[in-house]
Amino acid sequence: MGDWITQSSQLIASVEEPHGAESHGGDHGDGHAWVSWEGLLVYVAIVVGTLFVLMAQAKKGLNNRFFTNKLTQLFEQVYLFIENMCVGTIGAHGRRYVPMIMTMWMLVFSGNLLALFFPTSPTADLSFNLGLALVSVAYVQYEGIRANGLFGHLGHFAGPKLGGFLALLISPIIFVIEIVSELMKNVSLSLRLFGNIDGGHRAAEAMNTLGAGIYVPFGAFLLPIKLLTVVVQAMIFCLLTAVYLSLVTHHDDDHGHGHEAEAGHAEVAPAH
Amino acid sequence: MSNAKQSSGPPAIVGIIVGAVLMFGGFWFSKNVKLEFIKTLEAQGIPLDPGKTISIIGVLLILFPVIKFFFIAPLAEAIQNRTTELERTFGEAENLRAEMTQMKQDYERRLVQTEADAREQIQGQIKEAQSLRQQMMAEAGVKAEELKASAAREIEAQKQQAIAELRHYVVELALQATEKLVEANVDEERNRKLVADFLETVEAPR
Repeated sequence: MGDWITQSSQLIASVEEPHGAESHGGDHGDGHAWVSWEGLLVYVAIVVGTLFVLMAQAKKGLNNRFFTNKLTQLFEQVYLFIENMCVGTIGAHGRRYVPMIMTMWMLVFSGNLLALFFPTSPTADLSFNLGLALVSVAYVQYEGIRANGLFGHLGHFAGPKLGGFLALLISPIIFVIEIVSELMKNVSLSLRLFGNIDGGHRAAEAMNTLGAGIYVPFGAFLLPIKLLTVVVQAMIFCLLTAVYLSLVTHHDDDHGHGHEAEAGHAEVAPAH
Repeated sequence: MSNAKQSSGPPAIVGIIVGAVLMFGGFWFSKNVKLEFIKTLEAQGIPLDPGKTISIIGVLLILFPVIKFFFIAPLAEAIQNRTTELERTFGEAENLRAEMTQMKQDYERRLVQTEADAREQIQGQIKEAQSLRQQMMAEAGVKAEELKASAAREIEAQKQQAIAELRHYVVELALQATEKLVEANVDEERNRKLVADFLETVEAPR
């Protein structure tokens, strides 16, 4: 038991203290600590454990009438929020993606929230975010293939249907551009989240250093804006996933929605 | 909402197995494989560990089905059931409302009918009462006329009787007075005639 506690303490400490380059974590010369492999494991365990404890508590309040448990009500609101987002962005068939997007939202939100209380967090780690983004984009491709068939889905990448010589000339170029664009979605999703959460930490650290001489933690004043970032980034990650899903799964009768979703994407993307 | 329960991905068990493999594979990759471009990225301030990413993908592949079946599906089902229950309750309420509206209309129709009947009866009673009143008034008028005529007749009779009595009394007085004044041999029959003639002349202007 004592050994386990010691090892756990070392794992946490490994997050906060700089490591050598060989451990794929630590100080990169600017005094900022990267989360180590083991540290990430601990943080993910904290996030997942907390989520499961909360979900287990909320599950007790489930019934077929009015939810009286506050936690259940909270999760219900999250569910309805995600459902509205999915239906609004993807269309009526967007409800089937609610479990996946809600799970993603809870993970990103909890990971971001952890960043308010700890020196780093899972979502402040680019590898974690890249994993999330890869799963998100892979899921989008899977759904695209499921909805349109393999060739239909690949046909989307070739752009509008052209005839004759133009098809031979333009379609391959568009196809390559679209493939690159799809790959860049991973980079875009992961870097945006990483930049916002890690940037928040760096800003807080810099401001704390600024006030160290007079013992004033200026970094604490950033808490409100960091809290806003926590919510907004979780929402953006899920909204973009919903938009990507909408683009690959929209049907003829959903065209109006699809265009709205594209418009929504166009509005969101430049802001972040 | 019920769509939330539908499977939108590969079978959960496949995801969990692949996730477990990726989780441990990522750990192994992170500890044993060193890629040059990762070191380059790290040197540029981009801390990327593909092993971590692979492991996280594994964790997510496990978490998605687990969280879905542990919590999201029951939550969605509860919300769906509640919505169904609410819809049923609203449906019942709607039916009751329609029934109540129908009853209200029936009641109003019956009320209107009852009021019309009551009005008709009242009008009938009023007419009957008026007719009775006129009849009674007519009867009373006739009776009053009869009484009035009877009274007039009696008055007339009484008057005639009083006049006759008065005349007789006056005659008696006149005779007595004449007898005392004249005390002569005047024929009684003739005197009476004289007095009667006199009285006739007295009554004439009446």
